[in-house]
Amino acid sequence: MTMRTLALAGTMALMGSASYAACAFENETEVKMLSAGFEAWKSVADAMSECGNVQAELDQEFRTKQPSAFAANPSLYHVGGVSNGTITPLLNDGTIRPLDDLVEKYGQNLAPNQLIRMNGQVMAIAMMVNTQHLMYRSDIFEELGLEVPTSYDEMLETAAKIREAGAVDYPIGATMMSGWNVAQEFVNMFQGHGGQFLGDDGMPTINTDAGVQALETMQALTEYMDPEFTISDSTYVQQQFQQGKIAMANLWASRGGAMDNEEESQVVGLVDAAAAPRAMEGGSPATTLWWDGIVIAQNITDEEADAAFRVVMEGMDTEMVQANNDDAIWLIAGYEPNRLAMGAIATATASPPPPSYPSTSEMGLLHTAFGNEIPAFLTGDRGAEETLTAIEEAYVTSAKEAGILD
Amino acid sequence: MKFRTFAAFVGPSVFMMIVFIALPLIFVFLQSFQVTQPIREMVEVETCTPGFLTQTCTVEVKSQPVLDENGNVQTETRWVGFESYANVLQMGRVWDAISSGAIAQIGNIDFWKALRFTLTFTLLTLPLVIGLGLAIALAVNNAARSIRGQVIFISLLPFIITPVIGALSIRWLFYGDGIVTAWLEMLFNTDISVAANGWAVEFLMMFYRVWHVAPFAFVIFYAGLQTVNQDTLESAIIDGASRWERLRYVIIPHLMPLIVFIALIHLMDAYRAFEEVVGFSSQAQRITLQWLTYDFLQPDDAGNRSISRASASAMLTMIGIVVILMPLLRKTWRDHRGGH
Amino acid sequence: MATPKALRQSVALRAGSAAFLTFWCLLAAFPLFWVLVMSFKSPVDAFDANPLAVIFGPRTLSDGNGLSIVDIVVGLAVLIYAVRFAFTGLPRMVRAFTSPGYIVAGWAIGAVGFAVVFVLLFFGLLPILLNVLNALVGPLGEPVLGLTTEHYKAVWVENEFYRNFLNSMLVTGGVVTVSLTVGTLAGYGLARSGSNLAFWILIAALVFRALPHSVLVAGYLPVFINSAEILSPILGENAPTLYGQPLAVIAVLVAINQPFTIWMLRSFFQSIPVELDEAARVDGCTHLQAFRLVIMPVMWPGVITTGLFSFLLGYNDFLVTSLLLDAQNQTMVPAIAGYFNRETTTTDQVEAIAAAVSITAPLFLLVMVFQRQIVSGLTAGAVKG
Repeated sequence: MTMRTLALAGTMALMGSASYAACAFENETEVKMLSAGFEAWKSVADAMSECGNVQAELDQEFRTKQPSAFAANPSLYHVGGVSNGTITPLLNDGTIRPLDDLVEKYGQNLAPNQLIRMNGQVMAIAMMVNTQHLMYRSDIFEELGLEVPTSYDEMLETAAKIREAGAVDYPIGATMMSGWNVAQEFVNMFQGHGGQFLGDDGMPTINTDAGVQALETMQALTEYMDPEFTISDSTYVQQQFQQGKIAMANLWASRGGAMDNEEESQVVGLVDAAAAPRAMEGGSPATTLWWDGIVIAQNITDEEADAAFRVVMEGMDTEMVQANNDDAIWLIAGYEPNRLAMGAIATATASPPPPSYPSTSEMGLLHTAFGNEIPAFLTGDRGAEETLTAIEEAYVTSAKEAGILD
Repeated sequence: MKFRTFAAFVGPSVFMMIVFIALPLIFVFLQSFQVTQPIREMVEVETCTPGFLTQTCTVEVKSQPVLDENGNVQTETRWVGFESYANVLQMGRVWDAISSGAIAQIGNIDFWKALRFTLTFTLLTLPLVIGLGLAIALAVNNAARSIRGQVIFISLLPFIITPVIGALSIRWLFYGDGIVTAWLEMLFNTDISVAANGWAVEFLMMFYRVWHVAPFAFVIFYAGLQTVNQDTLESAIIDGASRWERLRYVIIPHLMPLIVFIALIHLMDAYRAFEEVVGFSSQAQRITLQWLTYDFLQPDDAGNRSISRASASAMLTMIGIVVILMPLLRKTWRDHRGGH
Repeated sequence: MATPKALRQSVALRAGSAAFLTFWCLLAAFPLFWVLVMSFKSPVDAFDANPLAVIFGPRTLSDGNGLSIVDIVVGLAVLIYAVRFAFTGLPRMVRAFTSPGYIVAGWAIGAVGFAVVFVLLFFGLLPILLNVLNALVGPLGEPVLGLTTEHYKAVWVENEFYRNFLNSMLVTGGVVTVSLTVGTLAGYGLARSGSNLAFWILIAALVFRALPHSVLVAGYLPVFINSAEILSPILGENAPTLYGQPLAVIAVLVAINQPFTIWMLRSFFQSIPVELDEAARVDGCTHLQAFRLVIMPVMWPGVITTGLFSFLLGYNDFLVTSLLLDAQNQTMVPAIAGYFNRETTTTDQVEAIAAAVSITAPLFLLVMVFQRQIVSGLTAGAVKG
């Protein structure tokens, strides 16, 4: 059995296996977890399951289910997997508990960097960072004598050369699927162009030069992309890489491991990573920093919270990281950055550094508005200014409905 | 039948429909005129998040719901009249588009985009489903008895298969470098990107729907064909009616109630199409009314669901379906009155 | 049956009809056939742009998973025989071994038995046999067609898909049983009552049939999750959390399915002459007795057909089950959608395809078994309204 199938196997159930040392204690209390389902979570869930009585639900629809499931009393889950985007509703509704006492009791092995603090209280424990950064085919770049681009202008020039050489079907890939993905690309690009989302009065300030430039850059990129970009999510871009159809993409660091997966990839060892390109001179890389981690529900007993936290600590220990080193950019002690992690690290430590994705209700609404309105621009149905106006109108409507604007 | 006996027979069924359909519906109706929102306050929060090696702490002012003493979010509910409907319909932008002569811009407003597609989808697939269903039924009825069983079996496959999986199986043939696309590319020696073209996606969605529903029409029509009165057919033959005339004047009238039945079911199902949008990931190009409602209900990253707009869009969808069903409802009412 | 001369058809018409039918069958079966092929290949082969690579699976083959010509010939022969048996031998055996009253149970047992024997023979005995054969025949025994069952293994063994299968069976079984019980009574009542109330119930049902489900389902979610709190004033300590309970999902699906069921069964009961139960009533039966003694024995064709549609609804449902069930009780369709929705790898996708084929198999069997009943049930009157 390979490592990969092992990781898959644990999606539902407990499993004993010799590849990790077993859990340090026998868990007697039932612990349920709801989180996203990408590889890093599978590894953590597997490691947690070894303690016994753990049921992990790995579901990409978790962001839909989590808020109401945690609001129930008793909460339907004890542990939640969140990121800085998805922690917002849980924080707002007060359905997750501060973890300071638990960290003190069981968190000896945690690095200070892992503790997510809100006004001084630890509200979540981060396990990994994630960011979108530049991945490229080192063999093609070498063959054509190309420099790794550090800005989007250079990226477009490079793409033109790659197209001329006819090395791949499409020089660029990007996660521009309508909805969440394309919105995230715009967030990256807008911030990269120095844009501010909201003014001091809370009204959106999207219809600005930065907005227009961001849209234009995205449109320029689509010239070099598979025309089917409206269905292109991270899995799609990852497959394009694996099948050797694209030469570079600004893609999630958590996807790096798949490039070297021999069962799926035809480009093993040929993809390298570099910092995310900048959108303008002297700006930060046009991307946002993310973290993924766990929270513990408020509406459960203290004993359950205790057991849940201990199980989590077992799931996020050094042994798990050593067994699954390439699944993510772990924040946990014992992590050895590999070749592909260098891009993410270069991105995160760039100067000025890219901002973290903001955990606010306003951002959630804006993100939805981006995702709904931008596809019409990219498919050519609508101009840039009209699109930005439509985004602002959509935001104001939903912000009023949510009570954020009066 | 006495009322009490009738109630005893119908009671359980009516009870379930009231609890699980009628009550939620009334609830949705009321909600479409309300807005429920949390009471919010602006707070300054210091947030510390990890970089790769160090943490960055930022202070930002953000709006947060106020919690009561039990830790629940305090909400207030206001009656807002038709505001949510206005937000869904966005008449302001519609008039702008009309007055500036750019009618096509209306197609960028979600509700109208969804309405346009849903109606086209429903009305175009209707004759195709009935026509194809009838054609298969006639052909099977015409086939040798020994192979009928197998043919009926194969024909039923697209209907019984789980809709999401059926849609995906068609999608894989066309999207990206699906084999049918690859084949077409070879044939015409061009580069085809199905998913990039709104009309191609629209066509595929219709193709899937016809593929999926025609077998249902077929099996109903086939059952109907088994009960065609042979005497009438024979007398038509004696009268010298051609094959076409027999079809036109004997078989089709016999099947008419079934055609109405299929049309009815199909109108209802196609009007609330949903799986197609999910299966073909067509959100960027084509959305349906039910998908729009569903999308309003999906919480965004901040956990907000646009319940009011979802309710309004659901009610608008309801009005549409009642309008579509109106001719049929009137006919049923006349039959009912005439019958008693 | 001798065909009258005038009914005899011209060659062109017959050829046209046959060609059309062939084309339709190809159209109907090909996407599914293709999915079946993909599910047996390594991820790289499954999504290859070249159809031949998908069929022959060169990379699957080079990984050491393949079939030889002997395997293919013998395997196909067994398959064809099995299908033929399902169409001819199985019905005969069922009819021979069951008494007429228990025909439904007989079919169910027959179908399950057939499935078990087939799986044992095809996946258990046959490979062993073929291994021996391949070694004997030399070049004919060399693998030529790439084919791997590892995705099925991953799905059923490692991901424990049988749990989802059992959940599906529970939900579907519940939906069919309750739906038919409640719906038969209501359908009969409505068919025999000409009152305005009956009319309005039917009209309301028609409108309910047309409702977009997403509207209703979203209304249930908060109530189901908080049902323990909401119901506690009435039920006290025992108030259940309905979220994640298969029974609650069954209730919802039954309700959603009621409009179609009662319309269908009402038309069916209308085609049963009202004189039948009137005669029974003259003999002193109550309505319920008349229903039980006179109507029940003749209602099965219509009920089976309606039940089949209920089965499809319960088995194929995605919206309701995905929103109202959690992982422990998840049915198959949302479980598969989970493979696609989550951030996936290509292997996940091929596994999802294998899972998709797995969930289609019972539907196959169902149609094979009940095909005649569908047509005869529909013919018997369920569609005359």
